[in-house]
Amino acid sequence: MTRLKTNLYDVSKCTACRGCFTACKDSNQLPAVIEPFKGNYDTHGGDTNGNTYMVIRFNEDYDEVTGVRWNFLKYQCMHCIDPECMKVCPKGAYTKLDWGATFHDEEKCIGCQYCTYACPFGIPKYRKRTDTVTKCTLCYERVAEGLTPACTRTCAPGALKFGYRDELLEEARERVKFLRANGFPRATIYGETELGTGTNKLYILTDTPDKFGLPVNPKVSANTWVWQDWIQPYAGWLIPLALAGSATSFVTTRLLANKNKDHAEGGHE
Amino acid sequence: MQWIPEYRDDVERVERFNFLARFTHWSHTVTFILCLFTGLALFLGGVDWLAAIFGGYRGAGLVHRIAAVILTITLLTATVFGFGGLIAWIKDLLRFGKNDIIFVMKFPLEFLGFPVKIPPQTRFNGGEKGNSMVTPTMVILLVLSGYIIWFPSIFPAGLVRFSYPVHDLAMIFATVMVCMHGYLGSFHPGSGESFWGMWKGTVRADWAKHHHATWYDETYGDKAKGE
Repeated sequence: MTRLKTNLYDVSKCTACRGCFTACKDSNQLPAVIEPFKGNYDTHGGDTNGNTYMVIRFNEDYDEVTGVRWNFLKYQCMHCIDPECMKVCPKGAYTKLDWGATFHDEEKCIGCQYCTYACPFGIPKYRKRTDTVTKCTLCYERVAEGLTPACTRTCAPGALKFGYRDELLEEARERVKFLRANGFPRATIYGETELGTGTNKLYILTDTPDKFGLPVNPKVSANTWVWQDWIQPYAGWLIPLALAGSATSFVTTRLLANKNKDHAEGGHE
Repeated sequence: MQWIPEYRDDVERVERFNFLARFTHWSHTVTFILCLFTGLALFLGGVDWLAAIFGGYRGAGLVHRIAAVILTITLLTATVFGFGGLIAWIKDLLRFGKNDIIFVMKFPLEFLGFPVKIPPQTRFNGGEKGNSMVTPTMVILLVLSGYIIWFPSIFPAGLVRFSYPVHDLAMIFATVMVCMHGYLGSFHPGSGESFWGMWKGTVRADWAKHHHATWYDETYGDKAKGE
């Protein structure tokens, strides 16, 4: 397996300038969408949409001791190592690139939105204009050319880094140690082991994940795995079984009818 | 070799299904099968040729939705205009009793063509009662979960997630019942006559007497005539 290349996002350095947000729109040629004001600092309702692969979330945190604090969060596809979207997609539109990005092929997508509801983070979103689902690409085309993702390249305060996952993990551990010793006792890494195998986006959080609106223990819904692991592969065989039963009966009824003619006469006894 | 029992108008025939029941049945048949095959294109995966029949996956999706709406309208119309018939149907299903259990137990032999003695049945025999309970339940589940999947943004995400396995499972059970029902209601030499009951509305009186004795006596027998 090739070494995974990952994005590392350090919340403690983020100033929520939204430069990454703009660079993402620019690089992916996504139109600006004017959305209604919802009474807080979040844009786009704090959620991705078909024309917005990533947003900066503004989580307000109130604490008796520290007072009010902003918990900014760059929110986009986590590029799970074992992605659920890839599992549920009936058209095989999702693939895992060998360096770690979860790639969604819009050519294959038919807009059924199974992935939208299977994703533990609710990331893939339907886009009416193209009748497909869209999400963050981890700028695979830039990475293929040896560049860093657009968001990483533009990040002024240096909150975003791109590189090998193992190296970045080392760096993140050091950073978390430093943060814990310097006023953020609950600082943690997010994405290392989440969902069992982790994600290919690493976060350094200054507080517990729930303070950032992230699932503390992201889980794949039981509905999804019952559906994908049991119903899809096995239950469907009942249908050919019923057809085979009917075919058997079709033959045996006629064979037996020839044996005792009186029974079969006119289709009844 | 005989496919469907021959339609004979030279013998006494009795009405089995009125026009509304037959119209509903066949409208449901067509829309269900359209929904089934367009839906299978997604369920099976890798069957591009099946989607191609409907003009690709988007075309299949469109046909699936149009057929589903017509199916829903069919069900609603039948409920409104055939309310009496619907109640009579449900009442007959509630008569599930000893004779129906004996029917179901002996049925595998009858299914394969062995001569068996079966106790008198009401309008719907034990097997038909089972089908009449399972298939409509599954179709109602399909309709409900289908609209949730179609308009996910107006329903809670948990409900949408729950609807996918429900839609698939209900499809499988309904299709299994439809396969058996389609065969028994046409090519099966014993019960094939009931095809004419659903196609032309009438069945042979002697067939009705033999297969649905209780129903025949209550509806067309001497007692019913006397009243």
